[in-house]
Amino acid sequence: MRLSEFIEIEKNERAERRRLAGEKSYEILDRLDGVGDQFADISGGDAVGSVSPSIFVGRSGYPNVSTGLLSPVGNESDAGQFVTDGAWYEEGVSIGDVFERRTSLLNASQTTPVETNVHDTWEGFLGVQREVALADRPIGIEVGLNGTPELDLANSVDEVSAPTGPRARANDATLTENPHVPRPVKKTLEDDDWRAGGAMNYLYNRGFDVYEINTILSAGALGQQANRRLVPTRWSITAVDDTVGQYLRGKQRNATSVDTVSVWHNEYLGNSFWIILAPGQWEFELVEFKAPGSVWNPDPAAGIWLASDYEGREGRSGYVEETAGAYYAARLAVLEYLDSIGRQAKALVLRHVSDDYWGPVGVWQVREAIRHAFDGDHAESETFDDAVTGIAEQLPVSSADLQRKSTLAAGRQTGLDIFK
Amino acid sequence: MFKAIVSADTLKDALDSVSVLVDECKIRLNEEEFAIRAVDPANVGMVDLSLAAAAFESYEADGGVIGVNLGRLEDIAGMANSGDLIHLELNEETRKLHIQIDGLSYTLALIDPDSIRQEPDIPDLDLSAEIVLEGSQLSRGITAADMVSDHIALRVDPDEEAFYIEAEGDTDDVDLKLDSDDLIDLTAGAADSLFSLDYLKDMNKAIPKAAEVTTELGEEFPVKLHYEFAEGLGQVTYMLAPRIQSE
Repeated sequence: MRLSEFIEIEKNERAERRRLAGEKSYEILDRLDGVGDQFADISGGDAVGSVSPSIFVGRSGYPNVSTGLLSPVGNESDAGQFVTDGAWYEEGVSIGDVFERRTSLLNASQTTPVETNVHDTWEGFLGVQREVALADRPIGIEVGLNGTPELDLANSVDEVSAPTGPRARANDATLTENPHVPRPVKKTLEDDDWRAGGAMNYLYNRGFDVYEINTILSAGALGQQANRRLVPTRWSITAVDDTVGQYLRGKQRNATSVDTVSVWHNEYLGNSFWIILAPGQWEFELVEFKAPGSVWNPDPAAGIWLASDYEGREGRSGYVEETAGAYYAARLAVLEYLDSIGRQAKALVLRHVSDDYWGPVGVWQVREAIRHAFDGDHAESETFDDAVTGIAEQLPVSSADLQRKSTLAAGRQTGLDIFK
Repeated sequence: MFKAIVSADTLKDALDSVSVLVDECKIRLNEEEFAIRAVDPANVGMVDLSLAAAAFESYEADGGVIGVNLGRLEDIAGMANSGDLIHLELNEETRKLHIQIDGLSYTLALIDPDSIRQEPDIPDLDLSAEIVLEGSQLSRGITAADMVSDHIALRVDPDEEAFYIEAEGDTDDVDLKLDSDDLIDLTAGAADSLFSLDYLKDMNKAIPKAAEVTTELGEEFPVKLHYEFAEGLGQVTYMLAPRIQSE
């Protein structure tokens, strides 16, 4: 007899995921134990000198957010590699590498009410944080710690942002060198009549990737003066993917359609992606298949977990329901490719998450795998249905099940004009 | 020249049938009728509306065209109680529409008709099946389908002489079968097409539950939904492009 047969015990999803991450790899546990050792010399009251390549704004405790400076204490010489961006894909980092890099970053943090208007904050801890976010390379800092670093893995298990490292309360922080801020970033910083969306697209068009833009947004250094607030990292990532995506979509509104059905594929970190582009007006859908034993479907006896979200020509009016930040990251990557060829299309992205994906590394993985899928070869198909049927053979579900779950696989929207 | 008096209910019914598809439209103020034809920006749904001069308490027009913001016009019409009369008069000089409802006077700025999307041509479709049913039956099928899916199949089985409204969701299915006894009329031909529920739900909102809806259907072809309002003096035809599986 078990208690759970009589009362419903609420499962702590986070605990479940955490347990899984532990079970799948002893290496990560070793590594996480090692984290404690690595920062064992650091304790409350210490002043720690390091460099900071990036910041983190945590959403737990919202509307009081934890706002932190990330520093690879002891690894200052190659601080740049600890920053999440597209270079990680080029480098071919593994899931273990991601956890190792991220957990090697000391997160020296304070708690700040999110309503704090930071438009003119250049002093103190928040001021230092802004400088780090705006700078285009890691800068020297010194932080006075109030507490001993503690690993907070619950905070790390997040499918949007990369995992975070051990956190210590900070009393204060100072810069030990002058930051270098790129000219376009200065421009968006100084113009405080500029709405955040427009400023994000401006930076994107000046060659800044979404990783840099979301860090700046997160520090509250974009947008109209009255709206300049700290934005939790996780939300800033999706906000930038969505904003830039809508901008690219707007550019393609009247573009000619692609004229064949093409299929693109890529695999990375236990995730397989197939992208079908087909003629017609813009429609987009992400369908995810999560294998039992993978990070969000931890029960090995469970079936495949299916999730999907869709938008038609007019886009979405609300946040996605099932696929979260992965939707916006995938959509951005597809729109970037369509922008590069000056066409519009109907796009179906299929993502198979295998049980090799034992720890969530953040949606950069989805964005980069799809961006790079378009670098590779592609196959052409006579019809959309043929493409779906062909791919379904490599998926853990039948094409009939796929049609039930996927709006696009069930049928593509036509226009009245083709019936004249 | 345009000057008319119309019951609030009739005007609201007319505007509602168009506003489910577009935010702004051209209104043709013909001598014999008040007419609107519009297609949504994605070119998926179309509406063709006419309201005969006889549906108005009084109606004088000479074939002009005005452009209106439908949301604005509906808001104003919403100020009228059921049974109130709405007076409409176009000022040719200022290009504004004067609206009066029981002492309330509103001057509505119009939109340059040339800046509004062109009115669509009505595709000439050869549709194999025609189903006549009550608005409430169609509504029942749409509401149930919406519980499981975002698209809906409309199908006629000519052997069974039955009309099916079907939806397949992730795990659940909905199936509404209406045979010739349930229907007002059925001209059975093989027909099966899939449609977006977003559009069909919006159209369904405007269709009166008691109306007779004539549904013309084909194989992966647009559906035509026709109904009358204002005691037969108003006519609405919707056309909706399908979601297709072939190609």
